[in-house]
Amino acid sequence: MEEKTNKNPEIIGFACSFCTFKASEMAGSLRMKYPDGVKLVQVPCSSRVDPAFVIKAILEGADGAFVAGCHPGDCHFIKGNYYTRRKIAALKEMFDAFSMKDKLKLFWVSAAEARRFVEKVTGMYDEIKEKKNAGKKA
Amino acid sequence: MQAKKLNNGAIEGVLNEFLKDEQHLVLGFEKDKNGVSHRIFKKSLDQYSFLNPLFSTNGALFLRRLFAKGMQIVLLLRPCEIRAYVELVKLTQIEREDIIAVSVDCLGTVSTKEKIDEIPTEAGQLDAYMKETDKMRWACKVCREPRGVVGDAGIRIDKNGAFWATSYTEKGEGFLSMIEGNLEEAPKEMLISEKEKLPKFQTNMDDFEKDFSKCIMCMNCRDMCPVCYCIDCVFNGDEYLPKGDALLNKVFRTGSTNMPQGKELFHLIRMYHVSQTCVGCGACEEACPQGIPLTKYFKGTSERLQGMFAYMSGRNFDEAIPYLTFLEDELKDVED
Repeated sequence: MEEKTNKNPEIIGFACSFCTFKASEMAGSLRMKYPDGVKLVQVPCSSRVDPAFVIKAILEGADGAFVAGCHPGDCHFIKGNYYTRRKIAALKEMFDAFSMKDKLKLFWVSAAEARRFVEKVTGMYDEIKEKKNAGKKA
Repeated sequence: MQAKKLNNGAIEGVLNEFLKDEQHLVLGFEKDKNGVSHRIFKKSLDQYSFLNPLFSTNGALFLRRLFAKGMQIVLLLRPCEIRAYVELVKLTQIEREDIIAVSVDCLGTVSTKEKIDEIPTEAGQLDAYMKETDKMRWACKVCREPRGVVGDAGIRIDKNGAFWATSYTEKGEGFLSMIEGNLEEAPKEMLISEKEKLPKFQTNMDDFEKDFSKCIMCMNCRDMCPVCYCIDCVFNGDEYLPKGDALLNKVFRTGSTNMPQGKELFHLIRMYHVSQTCVGCGACEEACPQGIPLTKYFKGTSERLQGMFAYMSGRNFDEAIPYLTFLEDELKDVED
């Protein structure tokens, strides 16, 4: 993975099809821009994301990953995102133990919050890009 | 603590009486000239040993998918094995109805990889042996719960090497009622006292990669893990870790990779999957042909992750596994 030359990070996002993915579609129809490096994977619910997917994404070359779903309490399947919250909180703790805490983020974005989605994603992208290029200064 | 003192040979008598029924079994330890090992006893106890100072596998492994309809099984195992059993009950891999789980105080164990001629199995001598020699496994040195306080009933050892039986559940009371004698107040000070917690586990990917670079992906650690129970593991087949042409395709897409590929992925995913149920027994490290310090990582992360939810694997039957339950009002600060 060292021989990668492009300094633009790649971020894999797991987006709930009822909220965050809808928000990303809305961002598109409103002509808002978010970085090309952000690749979304549509999942039926954020609790569909087995932390194994996130670990695989990161170990196979993604610079960061995020899991995004509806706000707690607004899940289409009533309680899916409460489980997500526990699972991703634990995964973050594990990443913290391996000193790579900044690679994983958890967002709550509802279908109407296109602007919030773009802000969160761009913020994460910039943060990771800065770190990635700071390490390669020489 | 109310307990019954066990006189010499009392428990053997009780278990022999119990085994007279055709449908009754006991899973415990057998001592013979080759050492001490697990054995399922039928009809009568033979060369029975309370303590097993040798660790080869975790006994809860044998109990998976055990639905003992109409039989009665008594388990007399180490606390780590009973804790793994409790976790498997919660994961619906074992039906609890016909099993009485009795945890016996553990004085620490020695790896079966060590070369040892003779090892005592009597409590006082074993305690002295463990203190004199430095052969105790690392997992046992940092064991979180070596006391027989888990499962349905427990057998504790006091400072004089006498055994005390006590119960924690209704079924345990049934077991206790088979033993002669009256309940009395057991001494407060036992041979094994509560252990201190390890400091918070912290490492980084470089150390992790260095430690696991020897891994040959035999997956023995997965197969010998008592709580890694999935029949359809994601690492069966070549979906997660492509082989052959699919592997070459992957290399062309993502860049060079060290072989065997995917070992970090395998261990990190397994580490997460068993994080709430890991009992820290170190069976993975025992099974590893390469001598990778697996316990350090698995026990470290699992204790950290269990600590988040104030959970301890196998502590009791009623606590739900954290990933399978939730509170509406918690973890407000996880969102970024």
